[in-house]
Amino acid sequence: MKTLSILLALGIAATPFARAEIDRTHQPAAGPLPAVTFPDAVSETLPNGLRVFILSTKKQPMVTFRLLIKSGDIFDETKPGLAALTASLLNKGTEELTASEFAKKTDFLGISVEAGSTADALTVTASGLSRDTDHILGFLRDAALRPAFRQAEVEKEKRKTVSSLTQKKMESADLAVRLRDKLLYGDHPYGAYATPESVQSITRDDLVKFRDAHFLPNNATLVVVGDVEPATILAQVKEVFGDWKEGTVPNLHIGPISDILDGKLPRFLLPNFPAIKGISVAVVDRPGSVQSNIIVAERGVAKNNGDVPQLNGVNSVLGGGMSGRLFANLREKHAFTYGSYSGFSAKKLGGVFAATAEVRNAVTGPAVQEILNELQRITFEPIPDNELALQRNYLIGNFLMSVENDQRTAERLQEIDLYGLPKNYYKTYAAKLAALTPEKASELAKQYISPKDLVIIVVGEAKEIVPQVEKFGKVTVYDTDLKEKKP
Amino acid sequence: MPTVKMPVIDFVEYDLSNGLHVILHQNKTAPVVGTYLLYHVGSKNERADRTGFAHFFEHLMFEGTENIQRGQIDKLVSAAGGNLNASTSFDRTDYHFNLPSNQLGLALWIESERMLHGKVEKIGVETQRQVVKEERRLGTDNAPYGTLFENLAALVFQGTPYAWTPIGSVQYIDQATLDEFREFYHHYYVPNNATLVVAGDFDIDAAKKQIADYFGPIPRGKDIERPTFELKPQTKPSEQTVESPTTPLPASVHAWRAPAEAAADAPAVELLADILGTGRSSRLYERLVRGEQAASEIEVFPYLLENGGVLGVSAIGNADTPLEKLDQLIDEEIAKIREKGVTEEELQKVKNLKLRELASSYATMQNRARNLAHYHVMFGGTNQINRQWERYDAVTPKAIQDAALKYLNPNGTNVLHYPVVKPNASK
Repeated sequence: MKTLSILLALGIAATPFARAEIDRTHQPAAGPLPAVTFPDAVSETLPNGLRVFILSTKKQPMVTFRLLIKSGDIFDETKPGLAALTASLLNKGTEELTASEFAKKTDFLGISVEAGSTADALTVTASGLSRDTDHILGFLRDAALRPAFRQAEVEKEKRKTVSSLTQKKMESADLAVRLRDKLLYGDHPYGAYATPESVQSITRDDLVKFRDAHFLPNNATLVVVGDVEPATILAQVKEVFGDWKEGTVPNLHIGPISDILDGKLPRFLLPNFPAIKGISVAVVDRPGSVQSNIIVAERGVAKNNGDVPQLNGVNSVLGGGMSGRLFANLREKHAFTYGSYSGFSAKKLGGVFAATAEVRNAVTGPAVQEILNELQRITFEPIPDNELALQRNYLIGNFLMSVENDQRTAERLQEIDLYGLPKNYYKTYAAKLAALTPEKASELAKQYISPKDLVIIVVGEAKEIVPQVEKFGKVTVYDTDLKEKKP
Repeated sequence: MPTVKMPVIDFVEYDLSNGLHVILHQNKTAPVVGTYLLYHVGSKNERADRTGFAHFFEHLMFEGTENIQRGQIDKLVSAAGGNLNASTSFDRTDYHFNLPSNQLGLALWIESERMLHGKVEKIGVETQRQVVKEERRLGTDNAPYGTLFENLAALVFQGTPYAWTPIGSVQYIDQATLDEFREFYHHYYVPNNATLVVAGDFDIDAAKKQIADYFGPIPRGKDIERPTFELKPQTKPSEQTVESPTTPLPASVHAWRAPAEAAADAPAVELLADILGTGRSSRLYERLVRGEQAASEIEVFPYLLENGGVLGVSAIGNADTPLEKLDQLIDEEIAKIREKGVTEEELQKVKNLKLRELASSYATMQNRARNLAHYHVMFGGTNQINRQWERYDAVTPKAIQDAALKYLNPNGTNVLHYPVVKPNASK
């Protein structure tokens, strides 16, 4: 069949010819960005005050329950590490089960029950196959509401925690962030961190008291996300958590010392954040380092600051990702680092703005200088329209895509409640970014970024880096316990 | 127990005439599309005096192409509302994009440009040499225990191209020439060595046409000659001590050669590892962490690759734990599982843990895309994605003990020690 084979040959040959006509010199035209929709969740507040959110998704046969207690490390008082230790004991034995039995029973069903604390909240997360939903909910309740805090387990957890602190003392990134918070938040609990001594001082009684004071349904939210029917799961949640007794939620108080003198001492009095004026340099000496971890940090904003969505746009120009100025400068132009970024990290009562890079010892000074230059530039030079447009699109597109991540959506629902954000915060997030003009961006940069009032933190080989950073400000050298070293 | 209904991943797959393998999976639950392009080249394809080459080359692919100016790839993707990244392992190099569903064309254009028109220029090479050295310092040289896997690979995979890790050695990155990079590109970055997956919210027919338009004109390359080696059983144990001023707590690692990931007994080895070390009810956690309180953490990791693998046990001791104590406890637990095997209940437990792990792998389009490519390339059958569970379900207690006897052999034990070095005792 000669004819046919010739036709076939022609057909094959003709195809690349036709394809060669595609224009490779320009990016293809794209249709409009899909509409940004933040998913709606079923929500209900139980009579005892527990707020429940349910997000039903069928992508995989899994379910996650995340119980959030609206009290975290901020309530550690004189014993930093208290909230974290309380959390770590929750899956180490309940009234009915020893730690070992609890582990066996949950592992046997492939269920994970994990707990941890952050500055403003403590979370207990239980997840597993949706066929085991009843069991998962049961284990969550036992861990959250019926932990035994057996003395032997408390001692074991303390020993493990001390080991983990010993490990963190050698991790440059961890040292840098702890010192950053200590310097920016001062005596406020946001500036505190656990030490072996503070952990050793925690007693079983402290843990029980912490639990009793904070584990209240009217101080908590619960989100259920996964392969569940909302009506069914809501009924189950009511059955399991309905008889959890409400109580008086501990209050935080930030205010003047006169409150104490007046005898009106609230239980949790918080000092103000220290003022950051001028530029100072803090070096953590970590002998043997072949790289310096740099953080240039200053005061940021609290979570509920209404400018946050647009500030994220401003930050994105500076250091939001691989298209930011810090990346272009410190990595692609100077090849100082694998990556350089910046960001506003916000907590309930305040926040930090920081720019970071990890660079070889020899270029530590020049890298700090380039970061300072970029901070200067964004506050003084107008931001070009096309540069801002790129970053707006980047954030809006990535926000749009983030709704693919159901766990992230679940966390956001709880964030709205925890931080007292407007109910439509995530529904209007993209629109706020879209409305950010270059003029507004410059105004926000000037208002929130101060290239003259900040702290430069560097963790590394002090004898090599101190001479390079002295020119930026007064240098204080710390050891890996973050204690000041004598000059 | 009720059975678990795993999602069925529907896909179409075909080859272009130049050999590019294409897999398309449609799912419209979110307006997102993920692309995943796998080149079947990794650090094992490198010469022993050019380690780090494949990973270095991955960095060069972000520089630019004939039609995309240097430094613009990141920006094009950001401006489209997406993100991108890449990674290099022992067996493969992969490039991934996540984009809003209106922008699939951009990913296809960029990836086809990189395959057809990649540019290797002096300025990019010089910049990335420094960047990659910083990447190495960050993850390896400046991190506590950062050299662990590198040292382990050198012991366990001695004499094979798995003996070095993808990050490679700094000196070789400096020695490589522009011509060598160009040669590498023309050899390995060819359609017949690549698998392209698109997953998410897109139109199948339109995507097929776009893929044909962008990738069709790329010429087929020479057939790739793949390294053929197998890991023979080790005949004598080895030991190494690594002293570093940044080691915070004593750590001991015991590791053995293990099968390739597609080998018949690989599932038994993975479940064996889970029995030893996954979860707080695992044998090593119960004994070393909770029971004896000798370790603050343990990990048991099967790292199974295309041509063979490693099974490792790592324990980080508490400050007052001698390394010998960690070694003794690990040895005893290994001896016990070899002699006495495992119970039905233990096996059922780790099967449930595995079922959970598999059930959690469907959440994002990018994950689905990666798995589709992985099964096509490493298991020779894309539809294996829908049959993952069968391999594990079939494992018996005897198969676990057989795997322990075969692989956790005292003659084949490689031990790595990270002692805490006292500041004043340094040599």
